[in-house]
Amino acid sequence: MNNFEDHRTSAPSTVLTDAETTLRLVAQLPAPQGLEGRIKTALNAAPQSGRILAWPAHRTGWLHSTFVRNAVAAAIVLAVAGGGWSVYLHVRPAEPVRAIAMPQRVAAPGQFSSAGAMRTPQSETAPVVPQQAVTPAANPDVQKKKTMKKSVPAAVAPAAQR
Amino acid sequence: MESTPSDVEQSARARAAEETLAALVGEYSGALYRVAFSVLRNATDAEDAVQETFLRVLRHRDTLHEVRDHRVWLIRIVWNIVLDRKRRAKTRPETDDIADLARILPASGLSAEARAAAAQHHARVLGCVEQLPAKEREVMLLSAFEELSSVEIAAVLGITESSVRSRLFRARNLLAELLQHSRGTK
Repeated sequence: MNNFEDHRTSAPSTVLTDAETTLRLVAQLPAPQGLEGRIKTALNAAPQSGRILAWPAHRTGWLHSTFVRNAVAAAIVLAVAGGGWSVYLHVRPAEPVRAIAMPQRVAAPGQFSSAGAMRTPQSETAPVVPQQAVTPAANPDVQKKKTMKKSVPAAVAPAAQR
Repeated sequence: MESTPSDVEQSARARAAEETLAALVGEYSGALYRVAFSVLRNATDAEDAVQETFLRVLRHRDTLHEVRDHRVWLIRIVWNIVLDRKRRAKTRPETDDIADLARILPASGLSAEARAAAAQHHARVLGCVEQLPAKEREVMLLSAFEELSSVEIAAVLGITESSVRSRLFRARNLLAELLQHSRGTK
C-alpha cells in the first residue's frame, strides 16, 4: 500500500524522508466537522430526477399501461418522421444562381464616396492595333527598279560600264 | 390507486441507490476531502469539490451497482474535478497557498520557534513539489495517501502501473535535487 518505500534507494533518503513526511501530513489532515452532514443536505436539496421527460409513474389504469405508453410513443415518432418525409418530398431544391448581384457600395459618413462613378470593364472597347511604320519594301516603284537591276544579263553589264 | 410491480421495483431500486449513496458519503467523504485539499489547498474549495463529486454520483445512482471499486471510482471523480477547478480558477499566487498550508500543518515542536521552523520547512518542500512537472507531481501527491496503492493510483490517473512507478521514480529524484539545491542556496 505504501508507495514511498518502492523507490527509496534511488535518491538521497534523508532529504526525501523529510519531504515525504510533509506530503503525508498534508494527506492526513482531518476533514472539517460536519462535512458529511453538509454533503447529505446538498444531495437532498439537489433535483432528484435527471430526466427531461418523466412519465407519471404512480398512476394506474389501462390508459397508463406500458403498452399504451409505447403505442403513443410510436405514434409520435411516426407522425414526426412522416411530416419530415412529406416536407422532403414536396420541397424542390433551389436552382443554382447564375449571376451574382453585387451590393451597391455605400460610403460611410465622413468618407469619400464614389460619386456615382461606374467601372467599365476594358473588354467593352475594341482592341486597337498600333499603326505599323512604312517599310521600303512597301513602296512599289522602288521595288520595281530593284528588280530591273537584278535582271540585267552578265554580258551586257561590262558594256554598259564602259 | 394501486402501484404496479414494476413501480414497486423501481422505487425499491431508487431507495437502495439512495442508501448506497448515503453510505458512500459516510465512508469516503473524508478521504475525498483530503485528496481535494492536497491539490486545492483551500478548505472551502475542497469541500465544494467533494459535494460536486457526490452530486455527479447522484446523477448516475442507477448505475452505482455496476461500479466495482467505489473508492477508486470516487477518488477518480474528485481528482478530475479538482484538476479542472485548479486549471480554471488560478487567481491566487501559488506561494500564498503554500504559506497557508505550511502554517496549518501540525508541527513536532511545542515552542513557537520550532513551529515556525517546521512551517518554513514544509513551505520549502511544498514549493519544491510545486516545481515538479505535472505528471510527476500528480503521482507524488497521490502516493502520499497511505490508502492508495500503485494499482489504485494507476486506476485514478488512467495509466498503467509501470507508468506510475516510473513517474514516481523520476519525481523522487527530481524532488531530491530540488531540495538539495534549495538547501544549497540558503
